[in-house]
Amino acid sequence: MYRLLIGLLLLSLPSLVMAQKTEGVVEFRRITHWSKIYTRMTYLSQEQKDRIMLRSKNWEEDNKGEKMKLLFTPTQSLYTYSGDASESEDAGYSWRQSELIMTRNFEKERQTDIMEMLGRVYVVDDSLRTPTWKIGNQIKEVAGYICMKAETTDPIKNQTITAWFAQDIPVSAGPERVSGLPGLILELDLNDGDVEIVAQSVTLRPVTAEELKLPKTKGKKITDADYNAMVKKKIAESVAAHENPYWSIRY
Amino acid sequence: MRNLFLLGALCLLTMVLHAQTPTRFTLQGRAVDTLNNALPSSTVMLLSPKDSSMVNFGRTDDKGAFTFKNLRAGSYILKVTFVGYIPYNALIKNGDEAVLDLGGLKLKPITKELMEVVVRTAKAPLTIKGDTIEYNAASFKVPPGSTVEDLLRKLPGVQIDQDGNIRAQGQAVNKVTVDGKQFFGSDPKLATKNLQADAITKVQVFNDKTEQAKLTGVDDGKKEKTVNLQLKEEFKKGGFGKLTAGGGPASNNVSARYDVRGNYNKFDSKRQLSAVLLGNNTNQGGLSWNDYQDFRGSNSFNWNDDADFGFSGSGRYISFGDDNESLSIPISGGDNRGFTRNLAGGVNYNYDTKKTKLSSSYFFNQTRQDLFTLREQERFLPGSTLATTDTSTQMNQNANHRVSLRFEKQLDTMQTLIVISNGRLGIGNNNLTSLQRINQSITGGPQQLYSTSNTFNGTQANQFALANTALYRLKFKKKGRSFAASATYQITKNDADLRLQSVNQFFQATTVSDMFRNLNQDQNTDLLSNQYKGSLLYVEPFAKKFYWETFYNFSLRFDEVDRGVFNLNDSRRRVDTLSLYYKNTYTYNRLGSSVRYSFKGLNLSAGLAGQSFVLDGQYSRERSQELTPIRRTYNALIPNVGLNYDLKNNKYLYGGYSVGVQIPASRDLQPVRTITNPLFVTVGNPNLLPGLNKEVQLGFYYFNPGSFINFSSSVNSTWYDNQIVYGQSVDTQTLITTTSPENISGGRSTGTYLNFGFPLKKTKATLNLNGQFSAGRNFTPIRQTRQVGGVTEIVNDVLNDTKNQNISGGARLELTPKEWLTFYGNANVNITNAQYSVNTAQNQTIYTYTYRGDLNLKFPKDIYLNTTLNYRSYINDRLGFRQQVPILNTSLYHIIGKAKRAEVRLSAYDLLNRNVFVSQYAGQNYSQTESIQTLARYFLLSFTYNMRGVTAKMRRQDFY
Repeated sequence: MYRLLIGLLLLSLPSLVMAQKTEGVVEFRRITHWSKIYTRMTYLSQEQKDRIMLRSKNWEEDNKGEKMKLLFTPTQSLYTYSGDASESEDAGYSWRQSELIMTRNFEKERQTDIMEMLGRVYVVDDSLRTPTWKIGNQIKEVAGYICMKAETTDPIKNQTITAWFAQDIPVSAGPERVSGLPGLILELDLNDGDVEIVAQSVTLRPVTAEELKLPKTKGKKITDADYNAMVKKKIAESVAAHENPYWSIRY
Repeated sequence: MRNLFLLGALCLLTMVLHAQTPTRFTLQGRAVDTLNNALPSSTVMLLSPKDSSMVNFGRTDDKGAFTFKNLRAGSYILKVTFVGYIPYNALIKNGDEAVLDLGGLKLKPITKELMEVVVRTAKAPLTIKGDTIEYNAASFKVPPGSTVEDLLRKLPGVQIDQDGNIRAQGQAVNKVTVDGKQFFGSDPKLATKNLQADAITKVQVFNDKTEQAKLTGVDDGKKEKTVNLQLKEEFKKGGFGKLTAGGGPASNNVSARYDVRGNYNKFDSKRQLSAVLLGNNTNQGGLSWNDYQDFRGSNSFNWNDDADFGFSGSGRYISFGDDNESLSIPISGGDNRGFTRNLAGGVNYNYDTKKTKLSSSYFFNQTRQDLFTLREQERFLPGSTLATTDTSTQMNQNANHRVSLRFEKQLDTMQTLIVISNGRLGIGNNNLTSLQRINQSITGGPQQLYSTSNTFNGTQANQFALANTALYRLKFKKKGRSFAASATYQITKNDADLRLQSVNQFFQATTVSDMFRNLNQDQNTDLLSNQYKGSLLYVEPFAKKFYWETFYNFSLRFDEVDRGVFNLNDSRRRVDTLSLYYKNTYTYNRLGSSVRYSFKGLNLSAGLAGQSFVLDGQYSRERSQELTPIRRTYNALIPNVGLNYDLKNNKYLYGGYSVGVQIPASRDLQPVRTITNPLFVTVGNPNLLPGLNKEVQLGFYYFNPGSFINFSSSVNSTWYDNQIVYGQSVDTQTLITTTSPENISGGRSTGTYLNFGFPLKKTKATLNLNGQFSAGRNFTPIRQTRQVGGVTEIVNDVLNDTKNQNISGGARLELTPKEWLTFYGNANVNITNAQYSVNTAQNQTIYTYTYRGDLNLKFPKDIYLNTTLNYRSYINDRLGFRQQVPILNTSLYHIIGKAKRAEVRLSAYDLLNRNVFVSQYAGQNYSQTESIQTLARYFLLSFTYNMRGVTAKMRRQDFY
């Protein structure tokens, strides 16, 4: 069934016609609202959650997030940090970003993600997986593109995922580990605003194979199922230990 | 993910199997606009009618045509979308035909106005429901206090005439509903003129059936233009509060105990008003960190409020040895000494918008502390040892009113202005009665009583302090370039009145007049200090990864002190040798510069500052007399190095070299004797220089989130130049010690720290081990003097060199095996060794052992038990001191009600009735033990009501 769908998808993709709008780079801003994430922690009392919310209100407003970028072609995509993502907003102080490169190959139906989590680097390599999307009835503008709303859920992290995809960029790529919509995803909202990943600009330009190449990284090779099992275990352990699991795994 | 997908596919498959025709079919059609023009490259999606999940998608070709081949039979929602058009939705169900051709599917355009004004300009999402389009009113900015009418005027396609009649898309609006309901009768203007715009979240404009049609159920085909206003869910608005009241009977020679605390907090998205009130006599202290955060809310912690710019990452640039209480709200976890009574309360108001942040607070606190202390000290002199026994009764009562104001305004995207004003008014009342006995033993000989002193000190002090700061920050277009300027004005006024009554006996004296010396004095000290400060900071980035920082600090401080000592036994005659009037002007300038490299987690900086310190003073015995000038100038070059390296896999390395400057306290510079304890007199030293401490530190931290293993270690070393130490002069006859500050170089201290934590069993048991070692060396000048015919003669002058080693180790065990059982235990050993060059026979070791266990149990029916045993042991064999303090606390509590908002608790503190506060010290040229009588066994029955619900504290959670 799955293969069949992909086949149909490729058959009906008039990619040649749309060539001019199918390659480029999207600059994203990824904002993590920690105080909202804390309200999901079952081990905290309402009193503690309210305290976190109130005391961090002004910091949340100043939260400028981190810069990410997505390189895309009709057949491939690569998502990673953008340029100076590891610097404080007013500069002068930098920190190290954990390894993060996510690639999708829609032609070969492969996905390879280099992710540093739980204290080591993993290479999650598997066949392409796309969630089941529910298509909504809303449109809005993101970075100059009219986008439609689509929703899905992540059963491992128990999150709702809302994506806004461009109606006129017929590429199935998207930020983070999310893809598989009729258009390029320009905005992603994880769990009702806990994390917001919003496109700031879209530049249509030819993307070279060199740019899409995964750098050689030493890491433990695992499958998607291994990754899911690891995330699930970490969440269960952290909650049992009364710790926020998302300090060490990506939300 | 895959499983879910398969499951979804399976569901779909079953659904399809149950449909009528088990064949496959081809679906085709054409997307066209209302004029039948083809819409090429439209997105065509097939959704499941059950949950609108996407089954398949494609694009139309340049003729607007699309084809889905090989579709499983069944029903689908077909959705065709094209930018600028209302998406086309239709339910598709195939019959027997192999090819289902839908022909031309007409997409209606979205009005240009809607697209431009709503989507592009206001960035509001459009929701399409059939042919209704709704959008978010919150996206349209109207001034606060605007009505819905003002809001509607802004909406595209809506016109409002002078009388308030509404027209939408050219048609008159006859009906305005609020949340779908009619608003006070049928006049649509009522709602729009009366409702506040900021209460509205969404505006929907659509064609509704007429009331007639709704009533009869017969659709007359007539449609009314209707505007529906959706009210905001009051999402960020609320209030919460907590009240705890507890009491216990008088017992154990102490009066009845009470502990009451309450707070209330009311907030919405912009405002926050909170109040707190507490009172207790249980040594439980004032505001805790949690109370403080609830009280201050969004203004609990503000970074970037430091107006004294300097080397980044290295605290304050200048420290005056002031002992004034802080201007900020005190947070105390409880003072475990003596008997304490606390009363505190305050009100805080915050107003925060994106551009303006205002916070104001008033806080009052009053503490009364009663201390009954026994202090035993052995002081080592060349050839002799002085043993002092001091029994004292002390009552400290302090009340403070604090007011704070903080205002932050973002002038534009580049400029920020912060104004901070903090003030404190304090009233202090302290009484101390002490009996001291000094014995001397000459080189191991028997102890001989030399002197006794019976002293009463009664102090009354009024203090006023105010600090105002303005801070301006400017960013530039060039990333990383920034400028900041600050100005501070600080005033401190302190009027203290000390009544000293003392009866002293010197048993080795040769004359009767030398043997009995009584003091009855009134000591008045009035201090007025004005300080003006200014700082500048400029940061210029260069070569991408480098930043060049330059800062300048200026400080000008005027002190005026009038100290008058009056002899009450001599008709209040002024004692000139003890009185002083002085005016000091401190000028401080510092110019510094540093270069920082910052790239991908490596932050390395190096800089140099030049600073100059000038003291211009004048003093005399009395205000009216001629003033004698003193002038001290001190210049220094201060280097600074900092390292912060964020390594792969949660490893961090940090280190640095910094130099701190310790400016002498004002009173240490004045050539005047201060007597509050007749056996221990202090004299200032006008030749005193600022002390320099050079510090090197290096640390490493590692955490493995997968295995929960953490490791940290650090090393630091400090060298002191011109260290301010207090030299002692001991009169060989009276044993009166006079201390005076002086500068000595050569002192140092070195310390290492190690911590290793790992789970014994993940999430159930964790063990943490830590060890510390430190060593230091410090000097104390000791002089023995003799009075010969009214002249002080030094008979012996030595520099005592004390070497200290301290080693401590500890283990902490956290057991959280079950939801209903948790245990926390720790054991610590602390060993201090002191070697005195002045008398090596007195070299000694002191031991402090601490063991603690904390058990939490949860019983059925919301009943909980907490028991802690804290066992401390203090040993100094040289002094023959051994003290064991076991403290056993237990509390049993029950959380009441379905909503779990109330709790009743029975607590027993110090069940064994053994509480006493003990401290011991060995260093400089003495060793000392101190025991303070402290509130022991008491019981408390308390009741808590918490609007947010009471949660049992089964786990230790200090950080979240």
